[in-house]
Amino acid sequence: MNLNFISPLYLFGLLGVAVPILIHLLTRRQQKHLLFSAVHLLFQSQKRSIKRSAPNRRLLLLIRCLGIILLSLALANPIFSFGGPGNFLPDTPSASVIILDDSYSMGTRTGQKTFYDSAVEAVLDLTQSLPADSVYSVVLGSAPGRVFQGWTDDPGRAKKILKFTQPSARTTQIGQAFTEALQLLETAPQRDKRIFILTDRDKNGWNEDNFSSIEEGTRYPVEIIDFSGMQSGINLAAVEHVEAHQDFLSNSRVIRVEMRAINLSPTKPINKLKASLWIRDKKQTSGVLDLLAKSTGEKEFSFPLQANTPLTGEIRIEDDLLAQDNHRFFHYQPNQSIKVLIVDGDPKTVEHLSETFYLERALNPFSVSTSNIDPTVSTLAELPMRNLFDYSVVVICNARDLPFGYERELEKFVMHGGALIITLGDQVDPKFYNEKLGRLLPVTLKSIHQITQQDEPFRLLIKPSQHRVLQAFKGRTLEEMKSIRFNSMYSVEPKENAEFTIPMWFLNQAPALIESKSGKGKVILFVSSIDRDWSDFAIQPTFLPWVQRWVKYSARKLDNLTQQELLVGEPFVWKEPATGSSIYIESPGGKILRLRSRGEKVTFDDTFRPGVYTLRRGDSASNGNSESQTIPKLPSGTEPAGAFTVNIDPRESISDKISDKEIRNLLSEMTVTFSTGYQHRESAHPEEGLPLSTPFLLLVGSMLLLEGWLIRKE
Amino acid sequence: MSEKTKFNYDAEVLSRVASLNIRAMNLVDGLLSGQHRSRHKGSSVEFAEYKDYTPGDEIKHIDWKVAGKTDKYHIKQFEQSTNLKVTILLDASGSMAYKSPDPQGQLKMDYARTLVAALSYLFLKQYDAVGLAAFNDHITSHIPPRSKPTHFQHILHGLETLVPSGVTQLNEVIKDVIERLPRRSILILVSDFLTRDSDIEKNLKLLVSRGLEVILFHILDPDEVSLPFEGDIVFESLEDDLSVGLDPADVRETYRREIQNQIQFYRSYCSSLGVDYIFLDTSIPLEQGLNYYLLRRKSLGKT
Repeated sequence: MNLNFISPLYLFGLLGVAVPILIHLLTRRQQKHLLFSAVHLLFQSQKRSIKRSAPNRRLLLLIRCLGIILLSLALANPIFSFGGPGNFLPDTPSASVIILDDSYSMGTRTGQKTFYDSAVEAVLDLTQSLPADSVYSVVLGSAPGRVFQGWTDDPGRAKKILKFTQPSARTTQIGQAFTEALQLLETAPQRDKRIFILTDRDKNGWNEDNFSSIEEGTRYPVEIIDFSGMQSGINLAAVEHVEAHQDFLSNSRVIRVEMRAINLSPTKPINKLKASLWIRDKKQTSGVLDLLAKSTGEKEFSFPLQANTPLTGEIRIEDDLLAQDNHRFFHYQPNQSIKVLIVDGDPKTVEHLSETFYLERALNPFSVSTSNIDPTVSTLAELPMRNLFDYSVVVICNARDLPFGYERELEKFVMHGGALIITLGDQVDPKFYNEKLGRLLPVTLKSIHQITQQDEPFRLLIKPSQHRVLQAFKGRTLEEMKSIRFNSMYSVEPKENAEFTIPMWFLNQAPALIESKSGKGKVILFVSSIDRDWSDFAIQPTFLPWVQRWVKYSARKLDNLTQQELLVGEPFVWKEPATGSSIYIESPGGKILRLRSRGEKVTFDDTFRPGVYTLRRGDSASNGNSESQTIPKLPSGTEPAGAFTVNIDPRESISDKISDKEIRNLLSEMTVTFSTGYQHRESAHPEEGLPLSTPFLLLVGSMLLLEGWLIRKE
Repeated sequence: MSEKTKFNYDAEVLSRVASLNIRAMNLVDGLLSGQHRSRHKGSSVEFAEYKDYTPGDEIKHIDWKVAGKTDKYHIKQFEQSTNLKVTILLDASGSMAYKSPDPQGQLKMDYARTLVAALSYLFLKQYDAVGLAAFNDHITSHIPPRSKPTHFQHILHGLETLVPSGVTQLNEVIKDVIERLPRRSILILVSDFLTRDSDIEKNLKLLVSRGLEVILFHILDPDEVSLPFEGDIVFESLEDDLSVGLDPADVRETYRREIQNQIQFYRSYCSSLGVDYIFLDTSIPLEQGLNYYLLRRKSLGKT
C-alpha cells in the first residue's frame, strides 16, 4: 500500500500540531502535592463522581492535534494506492539491473510458495513499477552469473521470460552477477542507474574475490531484497555424499551404498532421520540415522546384486523446507574389470627378467578376464602417450624417475580418485622421489638396506591383521609368508604432519608397506622390489592373492573414471579412448547430445541438472560435423561407454547468511539499502489512485464539531 | 514542657475544665475512695443500712449494741466511695498527623493531645484513675490507670512523645484492648475514624455489652470535612493508600456527602447504644466543645 502527495509542501503544516500542545502545556494548572488523611474517601468519591474534566482536556488536545494533522494532509492532496513505499524507485527514466538469485536454496518453501516464487513476483512488480521510458535487465545470480535478459523497456517482458522458471540446481554467485550488472550499466545511456539484488543472502555466494574486479569510483545505488526472513521453519538436513561400491573381493554379489547426511541446525539434534535407497525409482531399502547438531552422520545400505547391469539410483532423506538437498544420485557399474597401468622402470629384453613380468602375470594369470583385472604394461617413455584417466590403478615399478612434469599428472589422477602403487628397486632415484613425488608420498626414502651373504634375510612380521586386504591371510597362508626372504629394502622416514598407515612391517621394525590417502585416491608404497631382484616374494604362492587384493582394494574408490562424481556446473572431461567413434551423452532430462571432440578430449559443460548422465559410443559421425549438437534420439548401434553423476553442491544448503556489514564492506563504494521480503513497489504514477483530500476535510469538520460539543459540555 | 511540641495545655484551659466535675453514673469497683458512688457496701464513715447476720460475714462488722438490745445479730453496712477507672484510647495513626495548608489551622494531633490532657486532668482532680493507650493498627504505647496526682505528668509525657504513624485498624485494637479493661470502667476513644475498617459498630456494641461506659470523641480538621482545595492536586496518603491526582472541585460534593454520612452514622448508632458521641472540628475551641459536652452530661443526670 502506498500514500503519495501531490502537494507535499503542505505537509509542513504538520508542525502546527505543536501549537495546541504548547497551549495545553502552558495553560495546564500547576499540579500540587498534598499530604492528606482521607485519600481512600477521595478514591470512593472519584469513582462515584460523574464530572471529570481532566480527561476531557486531554481529549480536546487530541482532537485539536488530529484536526491540524488531517487539515495538513488534506491540503497536501494525498493519493492512496495499493503500492508500497517507492523510496528506492526512481521518479525519472532509469536503467535498473535486477539480479535474481536462482540458486537452489531459493527453492526453500514458505507455505505454498518458495523464496524464488516470491522473488519472481517482486521482479515482475519492480518492472511494472518503473517510470515510463525506463529500461531494465535481469541477471541470474547463480554460478556462473549470467545475463538472462538484456536491456528492455517492455515491462511485460520479464513476465514472459520468468513465468515458468524454477530455481536452478546451482550455487549462489552474486559476485559474478554483480560484475555482469556493472558491465550492463556501463552500456546504458540513462543517468539514473541502480541495481536490485533479490536473494536469500547465502554466504557462500558472496565470495570476496568476485567483487575485487569492481573498479574504484563505481557508485550505484544498490538495494538488497532479502527473502530468507520469510522462512517459516528451518532446512533440517541435507545429503552430502553418496558412494556405491562392490566389495573388492572377486565375485561378490553385494553392493554397498554409503551415504553421509548433515544436520544443518546449529543447535537441534535430529533423531531418527529417515533415509532410503532408491534404485531406478524403486525403493530398495531404508533406515534411520541420528545426527547431532551441526554434524554429519553416515549410514551404509547393502543389497544383493540381481543383474550385471549398471545401477542408477539415489539416496533420499525425509523432506524439509528445501527439497533439492534431500536426495543425491549415484551410479555404479558392477563387476567391471579394473584397468591397471603397470609402468616398468627396468624393462629387459628377456621377458622374465623384466620388472613387471611377475606382477602382470599375478594380476591376470591366464590372460583372460577371470580376475576382473586388466593390466597394461607401459615403459616410462610411453607414459606421456597414455591417458591416466582410462585406468583405475597405476603401478610404478622400479622407475628411476618420471617424464618431465608427469608428477603433476599423477597428482591429478590420485586427487580425482585414482590409485597409485609404487614399488622400489635398484633403479630408483630417491632424490627424485622425495622432491617430485613429495606431495603424494607421506614418507621420504632414505637409503637401501642390503644384507650380505652371511646375514639373515629380512622377513616380514607375520601376525593376523584386521586390514581388509590382509585379513584373508591366516593360518597356513600366513605361515607361508614367513618364509619370504628379502635381501634389500629401502628405509623410509615419515614426513612431518603426514597421515598414513603401515599395514605391513619387517621383523626389524622397518615399514614394509605404507598406505596413505590423497584427495579421493590412495597411494601405496612397497619398500622392496616387486620382481625377484630383491626378494623371492614374486615366486611365492601368496604373491598372487596379495597383489590382486591390494589392486582391488586400492581401486575400489574408482572402478572406472567415467564414473566421475561431479557437482552441478563442473565440466565433464573425458579423453576419448577409442578414436574414430562418436560420443553421445544422455542427460537426466532425456536430452541427447552428440559431443564434439577436441583432439582426443571430449568436454561436456552442460552439467547444470543433477542426475546420472550416460555416455554411449557409436560409429563415427556421418556428417563429419565436429560441433556438439543435440539430436532427437540415439542412433542405432551405440554401445554404453559409462556414466557419471552430477549432484548439487551441498555448501549451498548451509544456511549461513551474509550480514549487512559484510555486504557493505564488499560494496564499499555503493549506497546499499536493505529490505526484507517482498514489498510491492510503486512510484512512477503518483496521480493514479484514490484521492483522500475530501475524506480528510470531512474528518476535519467532524473534529471541529466534536470539539465544540465538548467545550459546551465543559 | 518542651517547646518542640505544640502541645497546648495552658493553665486557663485546664482550670476552666477543672471546674466542671464529671461523675460517673454507674458505680464501679475501685480501691481508692472518691466521689463516685459504689454499689458495693463497705467500710466508710457514712452509714447505709443494717442487714441480718449470715454465716460468713465478718464478726467484727456485727453491731454489738443492736445485738444487746434486740438479741439478734445485725451487720452494720456503710456506703463506700470508690474511684473511677478511665482508659483513654488515643488514635496515633498517620492520618492524625494531618496539618491544614491554612496557616491558621491546627494540627489535628495537637488538638487531640489537648483534649486528652484536659480529660486526664479532670479525672485526676476527682481522684479517679486515668490510663492512656495510643494505637494505630495495634497498641503502640500504654500507661496503666493511676489516680495519684503526679500521674498527670506521666500522661503528659506519654502524649508528648507520641509520633503519629501507621494505618488505623480500630477493630483489631478494640479486640486487643477489650480483655484488658476492667468491667464497669470508662473508655474514652479519641480518633478521626478515618479507617477502611468496616463493622466498627459491632465492636462498639461489644464494649457496651461488657458494661463499659464508652465515650467517642470524633476529631476532624475542617479541610477533611469540606475539602476546600482548588486546582489539580496529587493527594498523597498519610497512611498506605495510593496517591490520587484530581481536581477537588470534581469530587467535592460527593466527598462532603461521604464524610457527613459517616458522622451521621456514628451519631445515630452511638445514640442507639447509649454511647456518648462528640464530634469536634479542630476549628472549634476545645473548651467550647468540652463545656458543651459536660453540660449535656449533667443535664442527662450522668454526673
